[in-house]
Amino acid sequence: MMDTAYQRLQEADGLAAVLDAAYAAFEGMVSVIHPVQDPASGLFTAFVMAAAAAADGRNALALAPSLPGHPLLTVPAEQQPWSGESPERVAKAVAGLSSLVAERLAPAAASAPDASDREACRHAARSARDICGLLSAGP
Amino acid sequence: MTARPAFGDFLTAARSHVGAAVAGHQADRSGEHVQEVSDSLQHVIIVMSRYLQDIAPVPASMPPHDSPPLTAWGHARLTARDALGHATRHLRQHTWRTRAPRVAARSELARQLDAAALALTAGRDLLHTHLASDPRGARQFRSEWGLVVCSPPAERALLAELAWLARQIAAPCADVALANRSADAADARRGLRAASGWLQALSGSVQAAHRAYPVSAADRDLLLAIPVNAPLPRPLLDGSEPVTALYDAAIVSAERARHAAWVTGSQPAWSPHLTADSLRHVAATSTVTSHHCEILLRSLADRIAGARTTGLSTSLLQGADAAGRARDGWLRLARALNQVDTDTMRHLAPAAGESGDLALCTGRLAYADPAWTLSSGPGHQPRPPQDLAPHPGDIPLALAAAHHACDALTSQAYAQREQIRTTASAGRLLVPTRSLPDTMDVPRPFASALPDHVYALLRQCQHTAEAAAEASAQAGEAAAAIEAPSRVLTAARAAARAVHDASPNPQRPAEPELAATGQFREDAGALQAALRRLGVSNPNLLTRAADIDRASEQLIIEAAGRDHQPAPGHEYEFPEAEH
Repeated sequence: MMDTAYQRLQEADGLAAVLDAAYAAFEGMVSVIHPVQDPASGLFTAFVMAAAAAADGRNALALAPSLPGHPLLTVPAEQQPWSGESPERVAKAVAGLSSLVAERLAPAAASAPDASDREACRHAARSARDICGLLSAGP
Repeated sequence: MTARPAFGDFLTAARSHVGAAVAGHQADRSGEHVQEVSDSLQHVIIVMSRYLQDIAPVPASMPPHDSPPLTAWGHARLTARDALGHATRHLRQHTWRTRAPRVAARSELARQLDAAALALTAGRDLLHTHLASDPRGARQFRSEWGLVVCSPPAERALLAELAWLARQIAAPCADVALANRSADAADARRGLRAASGWLQALSGSVQAAHRAYPVSAADRDLLLAIPVNAPLPRPLLDGSEPVTALYDAAIVSAERARHAAWVTGSQPAWSPHLTADSLRHVAATSTVTSHHCEILLRSLADRIAGARTTGLSTSLLQGADAAGRARDGWLRLARALNQVDTDTMRHLAPAAGESGDLALCTGRLAYADPAWTLSSGPGHQPRPPQDLAPHPGDIPLALAAAHHACDALTSQAYAQREQIRTTASAGRLLVPTRSLPDTMDVPRPFASALPDHVYALLRQCQHTAEAAAEASAQAGEAAAAIEAPSRVLTAARAAARAVHDASPNPQRPAEPELAATGQFREDAGALQAALRRLGVSNPNLLTRAADIDRASEQLIIEAAGRDHQPAPGHEYEFPEAEH
């Protein structure tokens, strides 16, 4: 699931496609983080804060006027679950994906024709950077 | 501990001045200063009368025919009020000369009485920082301590203190009256003697009530602990603090978070601070804080292991378990809130910042890393138990920090519930529509959350609050056992709950905008809104409608806190958000 989201984001062309892929990426992050929020894990705090930031980012993008009304690509059912992965692997994958989200949204935040698109991208990119920081940092 | 003035500071000062007056009144045995002493005694009695005016025998909203029979303390209140009224009349009747303001008395007794009156006045002012009145004169609260100020335990303790002061003052004043032989001062002498007698009557009445239903040490501690309602400075940590400074930081941040929760829990539906971003942030940081509380309570249980403290250890471990359940509750709530939004976005309310600070301060205590932050990432080791409380004398303070945090988490969970209810009732709680199936073609990015969704959120808040309250209660038991300074929190919660439960129409928090305009709130409940749509503007009718709306709201909340499932396809409106 994370791999697909990563690939879609890499290949997205045009504002609508980038917004669509970034939205799906945030949704994917929320859904893969929730199952690994284990208090016994050293990543617990990071995952709790990262999930909230992912929801913030997704909701910010939902207000972008150029976001398509429906997902451009439906994730096949067999790819949806991403369970059984270790927290460390999830953290690494989400950190990488969020880094790419921030990277792809940055140009849109600067140059999208619509001010609301720019604002949504700025906010979502900040959330993505926060997630990356939370899940990449070490002690 | 936090350096916030408390009522006890002023009461202690008044006691000290009265003690000095008693010790030094021999100098006035000539009766030379009978006029001055009468004048000063009047100052004390006036401020005592004002304290008694503040204590209502029954809640203001209770109709007279519903008044319960007077208890011993109710009788003592009325007798005390009468006694002070008589004493004032006698002094006024016979006092023909008053000292100009700011002119110090020559008599030591009069000077000490003046100082006691001043301390009592300042103490009353402190209590009033928690209270306000709405345009109809009904009592409202400015802080979470308002309910405590008006609670029976605090009022009984206050009466007992006033009675003690009255008894101490009466004897030297009567001595001065008896010693004076001057014909010029005969009236003043008579007034002073009579007033002293009424002070004795006051004291006797309260002593009788105390014999029937004694004021406990906990009641008195609660009264003395009431702090001034003033913002505490935000704790700023640079990582170099010793662990003892972190106790204070955690306590201050908990007090700030508790107050912020109290304020945000009573916001009107249109408030820009009611945002999903804030709700999410509070839920996420409170999950983390609960986790820290569990770590801290387990660590303290380890710290005291070996000493003969089985009961204490049990309380701490049960508190840790409850904190763990509260964490799980917060986590479920945070996950649910990750699926919603509000119409106002990208705004964090002050309460969210306070909640983050509490997570930071408790984290600095819980982890060995002195620079730990919420964004520090993975892999941080808990602070060893010996480092959490290096000296045995530190254990009560470390426990107080965890106890305050648990208590603040309880307030935050209830505040979340109120905010969710308020936003939902105004149709402001939204869910993203984009992820819905194509068959549901909603032309907007968000739609109102369905009642079942709101109901689930409310229930989750209730369960989380109950788990946090249990953690706080267990920490409170441990605090009481080792006399930790936070033990007063348990009494404060119980007192506030008693006032809330006893009132048929629970007093609402003060709302500056309401007081300023005298208008009814925009987010009226269903019945009040219906009356307004019918063009009804009669304030009495609107007030009655608001009362019914509040009762409905209370019923829904109580139902939401139990395990009743809504009927399939049910629909209900969420009424006006107040408590």
